[in-house]
Amino acid sequence: MPRHLPRVRLGLRDRVTIAFGLMALLLSALLAAVTWVLVTRDLLDQRQAVAQVEANDNAQVLAARLAARDGSVASVIDSLPKAVGSALLVLHDGQWYSSLLSRDPSMLPGELRSHVVGGSVTEQVTVIDGSKYLLVGVPLRRHGDALFELFPLADLDHTYHVLAITLVAVAAGTSAAGLMAGRYASRRAFRPLRKLTGAAEAFAQGDLGVRLEERDPDLVGLARSFNRTADAFAQRVAADARFAADVSHELRTPLTTMLNSAEILARRRAELPERLREPLDLLVTDLDRFRVLVVDLIEISRDYTSGERDTEPLVIADLTCRAADAAARRHVTEVAPGAERVQIEGDKRRLERVVTNLVQNAEVHGGGCTAVLVSADDGEAVISVDDQGPGVRPVDRERVFERFARRGSSDGTRGVGLGLAIVRQHVLWHGGSIHVEGRPGGGARFVVRLPVRGVRA
Amino acid sequence: MKRHVLLVEDDPRVRRVLRLALEDEGYEVAEAATGCAGLQALEADPPDVVLLDLMLPDTDGFAVCRGIRRDSAVPVIMVTARTDSHDVVAGLEAGADDYVTKPLVAKELSARIRALLRRAQASAEPASSRVVVDDLEIDVDEGTVRRGGELLPLTRTEFRLLAELARHEGRVCSREHLLERVWGYGYFGDNRLVDVHIRRLRTKIERDPANPRHVVTARGLGYRLVTPGG
Repeated sequence: MPRHLPRVRLGLRDRVTIAFGLMALLLSALLAAVTWVLVTRDLLDQRQAVAQVEANDNAQVLAARLAARDGSVASVIDSLPKAVGSALLVLHDGQWYSSLLSRDPSMLPGELRSHVVGGSVTEQVTVIDGSKYLLVGVPLRRHGDALFELFPLADLDHTYHVLAITLVAVAAGTSAAGLMAGRYASRRAFRPLRKLTGAAEAFAQGDLGVRLEERDPDLVGLARSFNRTADAFAQRVAADARFAADVSHELRTPLTTMLNSAEILARRRAELPERLREPLDLLVTDLDRFRVLVVDLIEISRDYTSGERDTEPLVIADLTCRAADAAARRHVTEVAPGAERVQIEGDKRRLERVVTNLVQNAEVHGGGCTAVLVSADDGEAVISVDDQGPGVRPVDRERVFERFARRGSSDGTRGVGLGLAIVRQHVLWHGGSIHVEGRPGGGARFVVRLPVRGVRA
Repeated sequence: MKRHVLLVEDDPRVRRVLRLALEDEGYEVAEAATGCAGLQALEADPPDVVLLDLMLPDTDGFAVCRGIRRDSAVPVIMVTARTDSHDVVAGLEAGADDYVTKPLVAKELSARIRALLRRAQASAEPASSRVVVDDLEIDVDEGTVRRGGELLPLTRTEFRLLAELARHEGRVCSREHLLERVWGYGYFGDNRLVDVHIRRLRTKIERDPANPRHVVTARGLGYRLVTPGG
């Protein structure tokens, strides 16, 4: 038994695509994070530097004017330059002064206050009424005095917000682009693989002439070994076919002698003693099967041994009616509206054989042919042959077209032969396809699809 | 009256059994093992039908067929190896009327012979057993065709083909119809039989066979004889 690798749910292409996407996401997220950290830190640093300079300047001016007793404390505070939205709180002589009524010392964190009063410049980000502020405290020259300045950071927050949105959008866009690039790259990369798959499939379907181009330097080895295998196989098949053709050709001469001798005997059956009649009947019946087999063998091996391709325009409905009704010895063929004049470029003898064999198969192995329908469908002529037998089991639906496939028959003999193999070979010869399916209501339905050449004017 | 068949076949066993079987079917059979012997026998005792195997030891079957056609209109059935080979067309062009493939059975062969020996069918109206088309004069009863009073050397099959076309008075005959009426094939005749015979017929009745005026092709449908009325 061949070992199978555990099943993966995602295909190779999907996995490559997802890998590309994840990689792009990871990289762009990393980039965004670094950008975020650097930019936000830098912005805050700048702001702090500016705030410190401003607060220091203000503190010096304030201290100088307070020392000079130049106006009241409040008027001095008012005269100091202030950024938009910023506020000043000054502690002078144990008394608090504020540039804004809404700002009072209770807003200052106690720790910071004692630090500043203790003599060191301190700064801190704090939240007042839901908004962020940068608080800078500067001790004044006179011990116990201090200046505190609040700088609003709301505009910085807004910048952060925009930056965050931009970074997330860029990361998402990059990931999407990564996914797309992955999709594209994998499609490009797997194109030769798809070609190989297509070629292998066509080969398996019986097109032994299919080969791969040996151009891509990365894949030339694979292509070459495929081609070599295909060549060897095709040669082998051709040799087998030639052998079968040679054998059956050789068989025809003795078969002619036997068939005609048996015919003479059969004609005189009544004159023969009773004891000889049964063996004669057996002989005649099996000689006929032998003849069919030899004729079929010649037929199936001829496509490999002769390259002749004679085709002519054929009205498929007419051909099918004649062949099917003759094979069934009654009227079985219906033509769908629109299919009456459909023409295909084909070989009359081969197509007659296709129809005849399918109808005979239905008659012998399918409990009788119930209907033959010719229809046209999307550039194809479709011939379906229905029977009322037990149908073909799904597992046998490929196998039934193989040479010497066995199928039960109504008369008890095993169905051994080349009939359906010839059908498939001739259908493929015309560039068509064939399959068997279950007929609604029981029985089998063989469906042949042939490429259409055009509708007769 | 017994029909006389000349059997040209190199394999002695096949020759013997076919003679026995054909005699059983009611024919009188003469045998020839080589092409030369066949041509001699044809001259010595003219048969009604020749059965000619294309695989002969001395000369090739096509040459024998052309030899027969040089001075005889006798129906010739050739025995070929395969139906799809170019041998069929080459044999028909050499003058054969029909072909069979091995393994052949006397019963089938007999049906082919009977079809070839049938008489041409006259038109439904007895009065028109003579058809005149341009300079052609077809006499169905007599089985002759004259052009400008001169008798044309048509084989029996060629004549029956022409008579069948004439019977349709200018209407198109499908190849299937011609196969059935002229060769007696129920359903599965070979279209090449009709095509090659039409070609041969044209070389005999047309002044310029490449541009036929009498027997014209209806592409994809069949053939028709151009009559003054249609």
